[in-house]
Amino acid sequence: MFIFKLGLKNLTRQKRRNILIIFVIAFAFFGYLMMDSLMNGMEEMSFDNIKNYDTGNIQIVNPAYWEDREDLPLENLINLNQEIIEIIQETEGVLGVSPELRFKANLNNGIDETAVIGLGISFEQYNQVFATKNYIVEGSMFTSGELKAVIGVSLADLMDLKVDDYITLLVRTKDDTFNTIDVEISGLVRAPNPMINNGIVFVPLELAQQALNVDNGVSLLALKTIPGEEDAIIKRLKSSFQNKNFNLKPYSWKESASSVIALSAAKKGGIGTVLLVVLLIGMLGIINNVILSALERTEEIGMMKALGMRGWEIVFVFMIEATGIGILGGLAGCLLGYIGVSWLVKYGFSIGYISGGDASGYGIPILDRIYGIWNYPSFTFLFILGIIIAVLSSILPSYWAAKKDPVKAIYHR
Amino acid sequence: MALLELKKVKKIYRQGKIEVPALRGIDLTVEQGEFTTIFGPSGSGKTTLLNMIGCLDTPSDGEVKLNGDEVSKLSPKQLAMVRRYNIGFIFQAYNLIPVLTAYENVEFAIRLIHLSKDGEIRKKVLKMLEEVGLKGLENRRPNELSGGEKQRVAIARALIKEPKIVLADEPTANLDSETGAEVIKIMVKMNQELKTTFIFSTHDPLIMKYAKRLINLKDGMISADERRG
Repeated sequence: MFIFKLGLKNLTRQKRRNILIIFVIAFAFFGYLMMDSLMNGMEEMSFDNIKNYDTGNIQIVNPAYWEDREDLPLENLINLNQEIIEIIQETEGVLGVSPELRFKANLNNGIDETAVIGLGISFEQYNQVFATKNYIVEGSMFTSGELKAVIGVSLADLMDLKVDDYITLLVRTKDDTFNTIDVEISGLVRAPNPMINNGIVFVPLELAQQALNVDNGVSLLALKTIPGEEDAIIKRLKSSFQNKNFNLKPYSWKESASSVIALSAAKKGGIGTVLLVVLLIGMLGIINNVILSALERTEEIGMMKALGMRGWEIVFVFMIEATGIGILGGLAGCLLGYIGVSWLVKYGFSIGYISGGDASGYGIPILDRIYGIWNYPSFTFLFILGIIIAVLSSILPSYWAAKKDPVKAIYHR
Repeated sequence: MALLELKKVKKIYRQGKIEVPALRGIDLTVEQGEFTTIFGPSGSGKTTLLNMIGCLDTPSDGEVKLNGDEVSKLSPKQLAMVRRYNIGFIFQAYNLIPVLTAYENVEFAIRLIHLSKDGEIRKKVLKMLEEVGLKGLENRRPNELSGGEKQRVAIARALIKEPKIVLADEPTANLDSETGAEVIKIMVKMNQELKTTFIFSTHDPLIMKYAKRLINLKDGMISADERRG
């Protein structure tokens, strides 16, 4: 117990050096916690933006369509009928179904032309699945039967368009002939998912089906489900489709977002590297401190040995001191981290300097700001790991200190 | 049986290929309660001899017996235990722990031997500090004490565990003559009251004046061994 007390009292020696090491450890912890919060926030926002504005929780498609879905083909579409809709809607856990017809188009404003993705939707059903309507910044969404369209603000800026302007979508029909869709812009959208804003034109589903000559065909059915139950719902849907001999297959949003998920995996590797650097900084700080302390206290170590202290008892004194520094550094780091993460959660981190706040060019479907999220296990994990590292990294230099020859230590001057 | 017995003790240090003999065959017997001074010129082997007696070092040849037990062949761990229970040290530079108070510096030595309960330890430490004239200064840290007071703490630390021998290496070297005399008087008093054996390595004529036995060391050998009254 006295040795423990001595170890703790030793913390008050070399105050400036100890404070510096505590500060270095705290700063490293702070950096890690901020990055962890930001990365996890980015991941959560990306996933939410994919689910809420692009894929829904589950997409149902013809398996042959799925293979070529990036090319937006008009082959292998789902011939939509009430039976399919009813089966899906009656599946436990499904909250909404939105049929979509996705197609390639060239948008013409009368002067310029640009390639866009056309999205034929049924407004009411689309709203059950996606949150886009909350981000109409000008005008309004169209309703069924209207010859109207909604486009993103970025696309509107690019093509110098505004609400009530007319646009022409040049499309190729299923039979590979050209056709046009002439619509009036009813609204402009600025959704958190920048991909919606940049190159998508929403038009009424029936209008798109008619122009593309696909009858009742839709590219996919996007589903909103109870969060986290996607896998179970997919199982139920598969079973239902099998029973009815429907050539349909449900896919989780994760399969549509593989590039973002890959980015997320890379992020975990990045956080791991940061963690390694943080721990290395802590280790070096502790090792350096124990070695310097042992050098400064050589005579004292000699005296302790003369009094009959055993090697492990001297090791223990230094380890207590090192552990104390680790604990104080960890606590200060967690406190700084708490303040920093609170700020990130509330105010976020501006990405305005990246392509005008649009990170989609980097595969991250986030606009303007990335908000941090609380990851309390990270605080606990880092704090405990910090203490373990402090203890472990102090063993060798403490042992080195305790191994000193008592005579040389006493008379080292 | 003698408290301490050295037979033909030699110590040779190696500096590269050169062998430097520090002790060339010391025969010495010290009885319980002696107040002995080892003196001699620098390099005569005083400190080396003190280290052998204090079980801080082992001889290259010969044997050291403490209380009849051979200690010169013990492992470092066993030597640490011998030091812990049997030997007290007083150093020239005091070697107090700066973050501990006078009380705690003394307490430190007795805590290591785990013999007494908390209440008893407190009584014992306070009594020892009073004996060395530090009553009222128990809570001061070394940097708040004068040189003489620091050395008194070191004496109290050496004596608190009631060791068989106290070894003091130049204990007055850092003190002015008046303070040095006070410190020596304390050690003389302790020697008389507790019958603790004191062995000094010193040049200080004042210590030699109080010593009951003077051992003159020259070139690693005892050249004179004089007992007084």
